Amino acid sequence: MALTGTDTRLSVEARGISKSFGGVAALDAVDFELRWSEVHALVGENGAGKTTLCNILAGIYRADAGQVIVDGSERDFRSPAHAIDAGVGMVHQHFRLVEPMTVAENIHLGWPETPGVVSQRALNERAERFMAETGLHVDPTAKIWQLSVGEQQRVEILRVLARGARVLILDEPTAVLTAKEAEELFAVVRELAAGGLSVIFITHKLREVLAVSDRLTVLRHGIREITRPTEGATANEIARLMTGEERVLDVEHRVVTGDPALELRGVSALNDRGIAALHDVDLTVRSGEILGIAGVSGNGQTELAEVICALRDHQAGSITVDGADIASASVRAVTDMGVGHIPEDRIGMGMVASAPVKDNTVLHNYWTPQFSQGLTLNRQSVIDFAKQIVVEARVQTRSVFATAGQLSGGNQQRLVARREALVADRLLVAAHPTRGLDVNAAQEVRSTIIDRRDRGCAVLLISDDLDEVLLMSDRIAVMYEGRIMGVFDAADADREHIGLLMGGHSLSEAVA
Amino acid sequence: MILAIIENAFLSLIGSAIPASAVVMLAATGAMLGERVGVLNLGQEGLIGIGAVYSVIAVLSWGVESPWLAMLIGMIAAAVAGLIFAVCVVAFRASQVLVGLALALGGIGLSNQLGTNRNGTPIQTLFREVNPGGVLDDNDAVSAFFFHDPVVYIAYIGLPVVLWFVLFRTRHGMNMKAVGENPAAADAVGVSVTGWRIFYSVLGAALTGAGGAYMVLSFTPTWSPDIARGRGWVALAVVIFAGWRPGWAVAGALLYGSMISLDTTAQARGWGLPFMGASDLSFFLSMLPYVVTLVAILIPAGAVKLGRRVRSTAAPAALAIPYSREER
Amino acid sequence: MTPLGSIASAVLSVTPWRLERRLEVDAKRAALTRIGGAVGAMVVVGILLLLTGRNAFWIFWEALDAIFGRQRGIEGVALRAIPILMTALGVALSLRMKVWNIGSDGQFLMGALAAVGVGIHLDGPGWLVLILMAVAATLAGAAWMLVPALARAYWDVNEIITTLLLNFVALQLVTWSALGFWRDKEAAVIQSTREVPFTLPGLPGADSVTVALLVPLAIAAVLWWVFRSTTIGYEIDTIGGNPRAAAFAGIAVRRRIMVVMLFTGAIAGLGGMLQLSAPGAQAMNAGFSAQFGLSGFIVAALAGASFWGVIGGGIFIASMFYAGIVLQTKGLSVYIIFAIYGAILTGIALGEIAARYRMVRRGAEDREAENRDADDRGADARDADDTAVAVEATAGDEATQGARP
Repeated sequence: MALTGTDTRLSVEARGISKSFGGVAALDAVDFELRWSEVHALVGENGAGKTTLCNILAGIYRADAGQVIVDGSERDFRSPAHAIDAGVGMVHQHFRLVEPMTVAENIHLGWPETPGVVSQRALNERAERFMAETGLHVDPTAKIWQLSVGEQQRVEILRVLARGARVLILDEPTAVLTAKEAEELFAVVRELAAGGLSVIFITHKLREVLAVSDRLTVLRHGIREITRPTEGATANEIARLMTGEERVLDVEHRVVTGDPALELRGVSALNDRGIAALHDVDLTVRSGEILGIAGVSGNGQTELAEVICALRDHQAGSITVDGADIASASVRAVTDMGVGHIPEDRIGMGMVASAPVKDNTVLHNYWTPQFSQGLTLNRQSVIDFAKQIVVEARVQTRSVFATAGQLSGGNQQRLVARREALVADRLLVAAHPTRGLDVNAAQEVRSTIIDRRDRGCAVLLISDDLDEVLLMSDRIAVMYEGRIMGVFDAADADREHIGLLMGGHSLSEAVA
Repeated sequence: MILAIIENAFLSLIGSAIPASAVVMLAATGAMLGERVGVLNLGQEGLIGIGAVYSVIAVLSWGVESPWLAMLIGMIAAAVAGLIFAVCVVAFRASQVLVGLALALGGIGLSNQLGTNRNGTPIQTLFREVNPGGVLDDNDAVSAFFFHDPVVYIAYIGLPVVLWFVLFRTRHGMNMKAVGENPAAADAVGVSVTGWRIFYSVLGAALTGAGGAYMVLSFTPTWSPDIARGRGWVALAVVIFAGWRPGWAVAGALLYGSMISLDTTAQARGWGLPFMGASDLSFFLSMLPYVVTLVAILIPAGAVKLGRRVRSTAAPAALAIPYSREER
Repeated sequence: MTPLGSIASAVLSVTPWRLERRLEVDAKRAALTRIGGAVGAMVVVGILLLLTGRNAFWIFWEALDAIFGRQRGIEGVALRAIPILMTALGVALSLRMKVWNIGSDGQFLMGALAAVGVGIHLDGPGWLVLILMAVAATLAGAAWMLVPALARAYWDVNEIITTLLLNFVALQLVTWSALGFWRDKEAAVIQSTREVPFTLPGLPGADSVTVALLVPLAIAAVLWWVFRSTTIGYEIDTIGGNPRAAAFAGIAVRRRIMVVMLFTGAIAGLGGMLQLSAPGAQAMNAGFSAQFGLSGFIVAALAGASFWGVIGGGIFIASMFYAGIVLQTKGLSVYIIFAIYGAILTGIALGEIAARYRMVRRGAEDREAENRDADDRGADARDADDTAVAVEATAGDEATQGARP
């Protein structure tokens, strides 16, 4: 697969790069070499320092120590603009696009070659001409917020290329794409490299590394483990270098025939923009099983979780928990029925970062008699409970009085997952529970969820990581554009079929 | 006949509203400049005071004889205050609300202190009305509507047109809006968020200062304490009412101005109502400008909530949020 | 990194130190830097005055000496502290929810106006009229907050401008009452309302301070308890910290925002009644509120989220206020107080920022981090006998992903 180029001249060379945040080293004297005409995969777990290294190469951060040499001359980028002048451009995982502006405007933003006085039409024409040159197409008059994630990514790439970038850095570019969109991106990336550009491809998905890169570099805990040609490398070998150890969770799948804990019949709901996000959804989750929802983010999963937890109204259909309709139930009533919820945005919704850990441990049940009598909140019982959760879930914190914001992402999620597991007697809704976590934290959160299932709780697992859905679920439902495309038992689940359904193909097409 | 009277009354009401709210217009434009790049300056009230008092000082103490030069001095003084504000909130990322209120308070205090010895001294260096061919007739409502001093034309026509053109027809304006909507995006493409935010805060402060200068160089040609009397706050409300669009600020400013001129006209003519004497009516009318302004800023919000969602009237997404590249 | 940041780093780069952001801001440290900022600002103003030939430090010292050396001075401070504390408590309560109530002056005035209305029209035993006055003032203060509260809670209209505009309306209403409908027609010269014939009983041993002084202290105590030990306080803090998390926890966010905003108005309104019921202040005129609301706002900003801090800050600002009156006799106008307020507020805002940074010795990061943990552990010792584990490494990819700008 690898297209090892004959050009071994270096486009970018980094020597001894170090960077620390808050006294904690993110990069420790890292060396890195990038050649012209190559796709170079930068691999590592979350927190390994991949993004930090690239942010330094692209002028976002300045290194505490070390040198960056671009095309033979040493550079000290003080801003992303400096980097782009030197031909280094980066497409971030979170896009840097201005939502209320059009595609054409975003491409021309801050670009010295944009004419001083411009009309929308002139911008659109320029954008179209440029798209024809690069072969990447998006409607130039569309506003960014109207575009799919894949299209937004294309705008970002167009913008970087328009400025004459010769070194393109892509930060986890496939995290938000469907399988088909990812394939298209791979083709674009290979073509760019064939045209003489250097591409850094940050990822932690090993299949992608093998599919797209010529060489690869593995980072672990801010230190370079290896740089080598991709040809001849195996997934296992790379995985071992990434994690330093191998620990695989073995999940036993089961077939359950008990009573349904959660039933949705013909449920429809709107998203925040008032557009239909769920269409006529039927789902059943039984006590003691994990039902996984596979699908690319943004296909109604968020709304599904919120509707079940009474955080969002539904327009039609019925939702019952243990046979009781929750159509008009409050969040509190639903929670009191034993429904826990690990929300997908743990910082934005699942916790109060500025509040102490102890207050965060009771966020979803502070009103229960365990903690409050009448108006009064029993401080001591909250503190005791917090200490218990911190110990049980192995949350690493100085004290339960420290603010939750200073916990690492993994520890925040350990806390939220344990808290919600304790709330969830009947049903646990877990949305992207391991997103952004390192291997150890992810394993612990998964164990917490499985432990709930084994105690007879029903679990609805939402994840855009298909591997995770396949690993954890007893049954799998696939969601696309707010519809359930099909439901499978774990034993019958076929990775390829599910992938096609996630991309919007119907069941008959997928089987055919 | 009756129609003509109504028309006349309307023209003279707006005619006197125009100079009455030219200050608001200038300050609203100044505030809008800053807000378009994401800087909320609550200190408009103080900047009006500073602009006014330095113009007064220029005329009375430094013997400046040109109103333009006096206004420029007022603008420079306000710009210096605006620079201090901008350095605190943009470079040091201090709270825009706190420092803005500090500027409002400090500006009022400083200008009142500096103006203490000049209370009530009439100012002779004034802007003159544009009066082509001597056609102006004091009693003519049409003349009152059309003929004003040059600053008025700049405030109501020149600035809105220029600002509209820059914002919606130039590369520069596109970049400006990006700084206010998503500074990280602007930064990523090489627009200096810090530089632009400081520049436009200072320029905006200078415009607001011009508003203060206009007060003492034309509208009420003398210094009196607390000269802004809430006009700075009204200007901030006008920006919200206008949905950050320069043209709409004219409507907002005139709405406020016509309430002011309604009050002054009623007082001058001794108007009364059957159930309210002239003096009571005047007290009542003097509350109206603020009440109407308050209602005006509820309108866009209400329109959005009642389903008529208008995206372009939303505030710049990054308004009042400090930006730092390494913020984590 | 900002240009000034770059300059700061450039200056520091020749030293073995560099500037670094803290992962966590300690509340106590933030309070100290805020106070430091305020004091620093006063020193700067003092130096400026010194340059114009006025020895403000000496005058201020004399003023303080005059205040705290005599009972009259102390009572003078206490009298001014009452309205300042009341408005400050209202603002501090709204700040717990990240709501900026800048209209406490208007609510204060409306409270006083309602109290005057009741006081001059009702006959009856003094204690009953005073109680009715307090009730009317509380309701009026809350009512004055109604529109901004509804607009903020249900239409998402920012409360800063709405509350502020209502200050001007309130001031015009008071002027109207003093010169118009409730004017004291017997005293032709003084432009004020008629006088309320009742005052609150004095504090034992005091010449002019009444039991009104106990009210802000009691309210501070109640608020402190509410936020320490009740679910209501927990919910308000949760809304202030993260409204989406509050909705996640089933808190009726909009309704709670509205109710708390009405409460802040009510406290300021009651402040108006307390001010009115002091001997010698029983009538209203256009100058009834000497911008107490603004002083209260500064006190709340200085105190952060602490209600006891409000008491301390209130006494500090009230002393300044009183000293300002003394300063006037030394050739400074009352306006200078506003300029000083502006400087203090700027100092507070900059102090808040300073708390987020620390100096780090180059090449000694790890040891620094350990020291910091040790420090913090010491600070938390009163709190817990916890299993103290070092702050886990958060840096790098994970943290950058979390920070969606």
